[in-house]
Amino acid sequence: MKTLHRKLIRELYDAKGLLLLIASIIAVGVTCFVAMQSAYHNLDEAKRRYYRQCRMADFWIDLKKAPLTELESLYSIPGITEIRARIRFMANVDLEDFAEPVSGMVLSLPDRRQPVINNIVLRSGDYFTEHRQNEVIVSEKFAQAHDLGPGQTIHLVLNNRRQELFIVGTAISSEFTYLVGPGSFVPDPIHFGVFYVKRSYAEDIFDFAGAANEVAGILAPEAREGIDEILRRAERLLDPYGVFATTPLDLQQSDQFLSNEIKGLGDIATVLPTIFLAVAALVLNVLITRMARRQRVVVGTLKALGYYDRQIFWHFLMYGLCVGVLGGLLGSVLGYLAATGMTSVYQWFFEFPDLRSEFFWYTHAIGMSVSIACALVGGFRGSRAMLKLQPAEAMRPEPPKRGGRVWLERLLGPMWQRLGASWRMVFRSLLRHRTRTATGIFAAMMGAGLLVSGFMMTEAQEFLVSFQFYRTARSDLEVTFESEQGIDALTEIKQLDGVDYAEPLLSVACDLVHGPYQRKVGITGLVTDARLTVPYDSDGRPIRIPESGVVLTKRLAELLHVRPGDRLTMIPVKGERRPVEILVTQIADSYMGLSAYAQIDYLSGLIGESMVMSGAQLTTVRKPAQLDALYRELRQKPNIQGVQSRRVMIDQVTETLLQNQFVFIGILVLFSGIIFFGSIVNASMVNLAERQREVGTFRALGYSEWQIGSMFLRENLLTNLTGALLGLPAGWCLTWLTAVSYNNDLIRLPVVSAPWVWWTTLVLAVVFALAAHAVVQWTLSRMDFLDALKVKE
Amino acid sequence: MPDNTDEIILELTDIRRTFRMGEVSVHVLKGVSLQVRRGEFLAIVGPSGSGKTTILNLIGGLDSPTSGTIRYRDQDLTRATSNQRTRYRRDAVGFVFQFYNLVPNLTARENILVTTEISQEPRDVDEVLELVDLTDRADHFPAQLSGGEQQRISIARAVAGNPELLLCDEPTGALDFETGKKVLRVLLDLNRQLGKTIIVITHNSALAQVADRVIHLRSGEISSVDQNESPIAPEEVVW
Repeated sequence: MKTLHRKLIRELYDAKGLLLLIASIIAVGVTCFVAMQSAYHNLDEAKRRYYRQCRMADFWIDLKKAPLTELESLYSIPGITEIRARIRFMANVDLEDFAEPVSGMVLSLPDRRQPVINNIVLRSGDYFTEHRQNEVIVSEKFAQAHDLGPGQTIHLVLNNRRQELFIVGTAISSEFTYLVGPGSFVPDPIHFGVFYVKRSYAEDIFDFAGAANEVAGILAPEAREGIDEILRRAERLLDPYGVFATTPLDLQQSDQFLSNEIKGLGDIATVLPTIFLAVAALVLNVLITRMARRQRVVVGTLKALGYYDRQIFWHFLMYGLCVGVLGGLLGSVLGYLAATGMTSVYQWFFEFPDLRSEFFWYTHAIGMSVSIACALVGGFRGSRAMLKLQPAEAMRPEPPKRGGRVWLERLLGPMWQRLGASWRMVFRSLLRHRTRTATGIFAAMMGAGLLVSGFMMTEAQEFLVSFQFYRTARSDLEVTFESEQGIDALTEIKQLDGVDYAEPLLSVACDLVHGPYQRKVGITGLVTDARLTVPYDSDGRPIRIPESGVVLTKRLAELLHVRPGDRLTMIPVKGERRPVEILVTQIADSYMGLSAYAQIDYLSGLIGESMVMSGAQLTTVRKPAQLDALYRELRQKPNIQGVQSRRVMIDQVTETLLQNQFVFIGILVLFSGIIFFGSIVNASMVNLAERQREVGTFRALGYSEWQIGSMFLRENLLTNLTGALLGLPAGWCLTWLTAVSYNNDLIRLPVVSAPWVWWTTLVLAVVFALAAHAVVQWTLSRMDFLDALKVKE
Repeated sequence: MPDNTDEIILELTDIRRTFRMGEVSVHVLKGVSLQVRRGEFLAIVGPSGSGKTTILNLIGGLDSPTSGTIRYRDQDLTRATSNQRTRYRRDAVGFVFQFYNLVPNLTARENILVTTEISQEPRDVDEVLELVDLTDRADHFPAQLSGGEQQRISIARAVAGNPELLLCDEPTGALDFETGKKVLRVLLDLNRQLGKTIIVITHNSALAQVADRVIHLRSGEISSVDQNESPIAPEEVVW
């Protein structure tokens, strides 16, 4: 081994603490990068495989009812290569020992197995047999949640009749990779499932012989660009059969959640590691500059002995390189483990047949290269400084530091004079070592920014839940009727035991058209002083439902390019389909889905009815026994198609979010802690090493360790708090950017904060600074100040 | 054996060196000319600030003159590139510093290896260690060695590359009397037995009694040159 390498190894060993700290900052960056990139690739590839395996559709068309022969006409549209017509209904699930409302989606599948569009992947049991008509294949997670399996039976309320179905298998399908029930945004396999039945059985039960109410189709690859036009033509073609919705793949609920997650991962996988690597490079720069400077005489001697500049340059660059390699290796291993962890969390949210954690060598290679590059950049400045030195100059001890006033003194004028000597030293030290101070501020800013954006994310989730589930929609239970009912249906519901209060609902599917802009949405009809659904304006004031006109949610208004006072054309999907002009009265804030609200009388009038209702919202008593009885009674009512317990769903959502939040916040605090701690300890150690003689002098003058320590502490706190304060707006911006990149029709992330976000960040910044200072104080206490006082060459 | 010949290996002609210190220019050397013969033991003596170290740095290719020429054999050092000067230091020159300048993280042997690893005709490390009589201290780190021992290692390091020229900057300056004499003995032996050309700079004129020739420097100029017809042994030096 070369002697210089031996020197390198010994010096690396001597500075192991600091180098490990910096390596760990790099490692965190690489871990984030590798973990997120790997999870990204894992998800993306699993998605591709799964979509191929199931022959995922390119579009869906929801209809009222259309004969199969008429649907064949879709083939006349160029670009459509294959369609599959199926029967789809929502149903209540009647589980004997489970009182809470459980609902499901019933879908028809061919009686005999075929490679159909949106096919299923069997997970247990078999496909339908010829033995029974009433066979069912149940979505896997639902079956697992209720301990159901092939050979057992299950009861579903289909077309008002309670039917017994025989389970032959469990399955998953790419259509429902992310399966959420109506009105929710997290999977809840306990209360919502998918049930595949034989086509012949569905035809019988729903009275759909030779007909379908949903079409899924595949386009020729070259036609996918023009999907919007194809869907418009399809809609025109099927217009007589009542088109409720046309959905291209990228707007399909499951795909949207999945694709957004993948895209978000890809975005964050670049932003987050960049922060860590930038901090690491800067911190490393401070350390290597210091190491090189301390070895001035050695550098001079090596030059005198005949070493070339490039040999010396490489020697110092090797410190960076070693740190980079170490950080990269550590990050690579941790990243792979974290990717495995993340992938298994995704396994919980997304259902895949084969989501597995794979080793992507190129991701690791990029992580490693970036890590090394960052360390080399960090080491470059310090190493290069050594080259500029003339050997003769290098061998002389470094000239004393530039003295003189700092700009703050001139700025403060007489105020400066009032500062004590130790404060003056603190400020002078901070202002004279500008790179080091700036690095400290930058690191603290990034650390704080990370905390703020993480905290704001959890705050956003809580805000979303509270806004959507406690403020806007406040009912405990939502009931959907089989068909529209007169208003007296409400009286009947109000009289049920356990119901405290009830309000009617009318949901009208329609097209809203504004010039060239068009959207298919459901308008919700409410009573004027609705208490159970309350939209809010952007100032947080409740919106009173107008006697006439419509209230649109913000995202919908943006998509249709309308403002209050504008007029829209509304074309109901059902009935006469008579276009009517309606006025947009107000815009409501909303973070989930696209909704519109109107007064129920007014809305009934628009579809040519006197006041009708399609459902009701209820508040109920809280006693479990009474509730169970209510659930049972509602299930038995013939005209009720669906019962959804919002209370249960909210609990589920909150629990899921909370669970993840704990882990998320924990990791976040750890990561930002590494940044804070690493940068402070590094800066203090460098500071301490440079000022050994000064420290020795103070000790000789009678200063205690604590008094000297307090000067270092003050420097750290000033740097750290300045950085943390700058990190507050930086974190806000980071959150805003993340929200913008995540926003879609399904969910809009609110950019909200609360006082706790700010003060927790600042308190943590101080805690990290104190923790780092403990190390400094400990080093001070072990310092041999007499030795420090000796004249050294 | 004294190996003085008339062959001139180093020649300085009208060397001037000016340093700029902020607003003022300091003329450290004001036209110094001198010749060094192969195998000579030359002492440059002068008080602090007389320009001794500057001359040594210029001879060693560590610094460049403001004007004048320095020739080592047929090479013009003043016109040499940085790389050529590095090569010159590597192959032709060995440095001995006042404060030894050992790499603290390397053992005595390893400090010598630092030179042998880059030189073209390195000497055997054990042999060099024996030459300075420190074979038994080879695996000690500088902090575990006395000043004299450190300086002897520094000398060993300088000779290990087998240079023709040994440049010593106050080699005994940081040492006590007895140790200083021992170091001087080592240098003299290298000169007499291995034929190394040695240039020692010192402010201590007593040391100069060992040299073949003594150049007195004052305020950047050569004030006198003494040819020492009968140099004394280091052991006889008194200061």
